Amino acid sequence: MLLQLNGIFKWVQQGGQRVFLLKDINLEVEEGEFISIMGPSGSGKSTLLNVIGMLDDFDEGEYNFLDEPVHQLKEKHRANLYKQYIGFVFQAYHLIDELTVYENLEMPLLYKKLKGSERKAMVADMLDRFGIVGKKDLFPTQLSGGQQQLVGVARALISKPKLILADEPTGNLNSKQSNEIMELFKELNDDGVTIIQATHNEKNAAYGKRTLNLLDGRKV
Amino acid sequence: MFRNYIKIAFRNIWKNKVFFLINIIGLSIGLSSAFVIGAMIYYDFTFDKFHKDGERIYRVVTDTKGPDQEGHFRGVPVPLGNALKAEVSGIENVSTFFITHFNTIRIDATGKDFKNPEDIIFAETGYFEVFEYDWLAGSAKNILDGPNEVVITEKRAATYFPNTSAQEVLGKTVTYNDSIIVKITGIVANFKERSDFTFQEFVSRKTAKNTDMNYGVYNESWEGMSSSTQVFIKAKEKANLESLKGYLIGLAKEHENKKVVARGYITTYGLQPLAELHMNDDYAVFDSTRHRADDTVLLGLSLIALFLLILGCINFINLNTAQATKRAKEIGIRKTLGSSKSQLVYQFLGETLFLTSTAAIVSIFFASGLFRLFSEFMPPDIGLALFRNPILIFCTIVLVILITIFSGFYPALVLSQFKPVLVLKNQILPGNDKGSLRKYLTIFQFVIAQIFIIATLLVGRQINYMMTKDMGIKTKSVAYIGTPYHIHSEVKRQRFAKMIEALPEIQEVSLAGGPPASNNYAGRSLTYFAEGKQINIQLQLLNGDKNYLNLYGIKLLAGRKPLNDSIREYVVNETGMKLLGFENPQDIIGQTVKADDKNIPIVGVMEDFNQRSLRSKIDPLAFVGGNQNGTVHFSFRTDDTKNWPNAIGKIEDAWKSIYPEDDFKVQFMDDTIKQFYEQERKTSVLLTWATGLAIAISCLGLLGLVIHTTERRTKEIGIRKILGATLAQLNLLLCKEFLILVGIAFVIAAPIAWWGMNNWLQDFAYKTELSWWVFVLSGVAMLLIALVIISIRTIAAANRNPVKSLRTE
Repeated sequence: MLLQLNGIFKWVQQGGQRVFLLKDINLEVEEGEFISIMGPSGSGKSTLLNVIGMLDDFDEGEYNFLDEPVHQLKEKHRANLYKQYIGFVFQAYHLIDELTVYENLEMPLLYKKLKGSERKAMVADMLDRFGIVGKKDLFPTQLSGGQQQLVGVARALISKPKLILADEPTGNLNSKQSNEIMELFKELNDDGVTIIQATHNEKNAAYGKRTLNLLDGRKV
Repeated sequence: MFRNYIKIAFRNIWKNKVFFLINIIGLSIGLSSAFVIGAMIYYDFTFDKFHKDGERIYRVVTDTKGPDQEGHFRGVPVPLGNALKAEVSGIENVSTFFITHFNTIRIDATGKDFKNPEDIIFAETGYFEVFEYDWLAGSAKNILDGPNEVVITEKRAATYFPNTSAQEVLGKTVTYNDSIIVKITGIVANFKERSDFTFQEFVSRKTAKNTDMNYGVYNESWEGMSSSTQVFIKAKEKANLESLKGYLIGLAKEHENKKVVARGYITTYGLQPLAELHMNDDYAVFDSTRHRADDTVLLGLSLIALFLLILGCINFINLNTAQATKRAKEIGIRKTLGSSKSQLVYQFLGETLFLTSTAAIVSIFFASGLFRLFSEFMPPDIGLALFRNPILIFCTIVLVILITIFSGFYPALVLSQFKPVLVLKNQILPGNDKGSLRKYLTIFQFVIAQIFIIATLLVGRQINYMMTKDMGIKTKSVAYIGTPYHIHSEVKRQRFAKMIEALPEIQEVSLAGGPPASNNYAGRSLTYFAEGKQINIQLQLLNGDKNYLNLYGIKLLAGRKPLNDSIREYVVNETGMKLLGFENPQDIIGQTVKADDKNIPIVGVMEDFNQRSLRSKIDPLAFVGGNQNGTVHFSFRTDDTKNWPNAIGKIEDAWKSIYPEDDFKVQFMDDTIKQFYEQERKTSVLLTWATGLAIAISCLGLLGLVIHTTERRTKEIGIRKILGATLAQLNLLLCKEFLILVGIAFVIAAPIAWWGMNNWLQDFAYKTELSWWVFVLSGVAMLLIALVIISIRTIAAANRNPVKSLRTE
């Protein structure tokens, strides 16, 4: 089992009242799954992804990732865990504008303290696989949205994660670009990468093997 | 990783060129002033650090304690040196030497004359035992033991005997003052390092025996002392300093003057370590006019440098935290990709280090300019060349690192603190950035700038007040010439005065002592026996002939002038009259006072005038028909100023005909008075610069913040404009938040400045008022400067087409 959520609660205090962002979420994810999280805006999709990605805390419940109790780990330990096993894809791509495509891809490897030659090989491999070799010296602002997201996915994949978390990965793209990215996800999944995506697009959700519906922070 | 950081840093700088420039300029101004001031401090702290056994060398000095004051004097009685030689237990060597002066030196081999050779002392073998020199010819053994010997330095030898080797110079003779023939028995190398011992010619002490200087050099009296009599000792290793000091105090006790002790004055001799020679203000080094370190000046300068540095750092902190939101995205991404907080802190500190290093390099250029600007404040050998010294290089590196940490740490901490989830969800909105720390820091900057402005204005006002205040004497169109002091002929002086008087441009001439206002003081204590009591006062004396008072426009209130030069008669000033217990000038006429056991009648009372700078009060003074009238005073006709240069030319001709050997130097009275305030004018120039730089740095920082705010509020400005706001309203809206900060700064700065200036003015007997309008004026000036700076940006922002700004949002 890749990860397991048991009775996860997350809330914020608003005017003396608890507003629940996540309410009693239980979820088990096996390796190789492709899960779509559906729900309207504000239903807690992104929050759930952030909790799974260990970017955000939760207030109650248990979270085990590869049999490690995340809720008991210190921040540094947790960072090591997600650095190693999780890749993120964002709706707004979140590439660093000051770095070229090549350098953006290289960055996660820098934080894993890989050697220069190794990094070169891995980045070249990725550029090749995604067919963006010709774009490697361009800056993100010189690319179309679809191309930027392609770089975003490539960056998420470069450190060979077990799990990819994608938060509305196609939200800023037109339908053609959107299809390309979803096809890419499908291929990756076929290669064995576990994917969890948040979306409110039925068509995109259909790419997933399993769908999880959220409403007001609750599984329905 | 490192390459990645550098790239990011460079591209960020490129994107924010304006901010980069503001940071660099601000920091490099602060750094360059720190360099200059650091060099000055280093310079003053590295005098005479190289002497062998320097830690065992002491100067014997005189301290006096009176009923109401303490005195410190660098000279000692002449016999003290020999008395110390007798005390063998703790002392290895004693050197007594006398700073002296000759009018001429003739090189006998060439017959060439040199006028007024400087840096000459009468010394004995002991001098070269206490201070070790490198001998180029001759040796320290038994040197200067006999009469008519001299040791000269390599430099002097090169002047007197160009292109001659040291060995050849040895044995040559020179003649001082046309009569004292001495033989060169040694040549020493000049000290390579900084030293106050700049003596060039060492004449054997015994030489003085056969000259008119015998009295000063072989005086056996313990009563009097001269600042030119210097005694240095080298203590034995592991000598008991306390017993040595005790011995000195014993000597002082043994030879004390009973009369002086009866008046409550106690004299003791103390030991001044060689290391303190240069920095101790109480005694001065050898000569009060040379450059010497003044620790209050150094402290003031260090404070200025520190403030300018802090101002530069504040700009950095402010601009970087303000810009933080721009980099938030990068930070969020880096964190999700696995960067730890400390890695981010290092990254940003690294960027800061790069920036401060750049600023340090830029400031080297600034500093060379500053060295040139402030050349009149420092000795000529201070310059960038000092920075070749490894200690200063090390200090510079430490300073750069300190500044990096000081200015970079907080922004780095703020930046690395961002929560990636919030950043990536765009929840750190630019608008949420309140930046209260930034406000405090900006206020601090303007407090400093404001204090500088007020201080500059008030110092300038005080100087102006002192320069223009009526001192009670005529200062315009009056000048004086001192006749050569080694030519005593009264006839020549009279003839010179007559020749000046004959010129048509000259109104009046007087043969007298010094000018009525000067830094000199010659006085005597006198006693007046009134009914039943005895009044002792210290009275300053002013010598001159019967024209003197008239020439300087000093009015008599009662009585008459002294009848002639040979009778001692006093004309006292009002202050003196009051001290002697009289209110009415008429009453004191005909009274006699006792000075030096002589009865001297008071024949007149003159108006008070300031006989020194306006720092001091008017002291009791008496005008006497003198017999030491070595100075010719004269006043020009005021109706034809254009002929003055012509007249001075004629006076010079007259001078040449009477004193062909000596240099001609006319001094105008108003220049003399200007010289009183040299120190204040230097302070004023320095302050003006510090003010300018402080304003420049603070305003640059302000500009940066304004740019940031207007960028942040582009959308708001657009919306307001669409809703009908006018340009003026928008400008006011944008300026308001900054002007309030400047206003708060004024409220804080004004009392601090008032307190500081009030303290400073205590040194002056005559001072301007701390008028409220000076404060208001400087506050308004600061506000206006800030407003101009802010408006540069806000008007542009308000003018922007709202459609555009809203679309890009």
